[in-house]
Amino acid sequence: MAKVTMYTLSTCPWCRKTKKFFTEHNIPFEFTDYDLADEATQDKIMAELDAAGANGFPFVRIGDEVVVGYQPNVYSELMGI
Amino acid sequence: MNTESRKKALRHFYSQIVEPLGFKFTPDADLADFLLEQEVNLEVKHGIPFCPCQPIRRDRARDMQIVCPCIPFHRKHFDAMQRCWCGLFVHQDVTDPDSLPQLSAKEMGLE
Repeated sequence: MAKVTMYTLSTCPWCRKTKKFFTEHNIPFEFTDYDLADEATQDKIMAELDAAGANGFPFVRIGDEVVVGYQPNVYSELMGI
Repeated sequence: MNTESRKKALRHFYSQIVEPLGFKFTPDADLADFLLEQEVNLEVKHGIPFCPCQPIRRDRARDMQIVCPCIPFHRKHFDAMQRCWCGLFVHQDVTDPDSLPQLSAKEMGLE
């Protein structure tokens, strides 16, 4: 199973939906809430977003693929579920 | 500050800005209420009602572009999605906000 990591915001309802999607499908994931992270971590996250051409959350990495925004159909496709 | 009264004030203020731009509040009342509450919390914390779904970069010029309603700064992208990034606002003819995509400008071929 592809590793799932994500950057999210604690204030963002779409980030909550994204976490809920993976939780409900029993898919383990790691996440960091950007707004609750320290400045060094925030800078690292922004560097990753900028490299991917993203400027919003949720930012989900499934294996080598990046999905920006709440896209459950894409999550399902990439996870093969 | 009373959160409910501030939410009401922001709603009134935002309506006057977004309606001439062709947008309206999402018909998803629960989503709108949640997002407005997050904005009030962000305003208490930062002094500004930033978008709850975009990053505050500690770069004033860029951060000003995510102050709600941030539609004018992302007009092409949001018009293509028919919604703003967080979904607080949708195009005026939208009745089913759940059907709208949340795609990056890059993914929509706009960058």
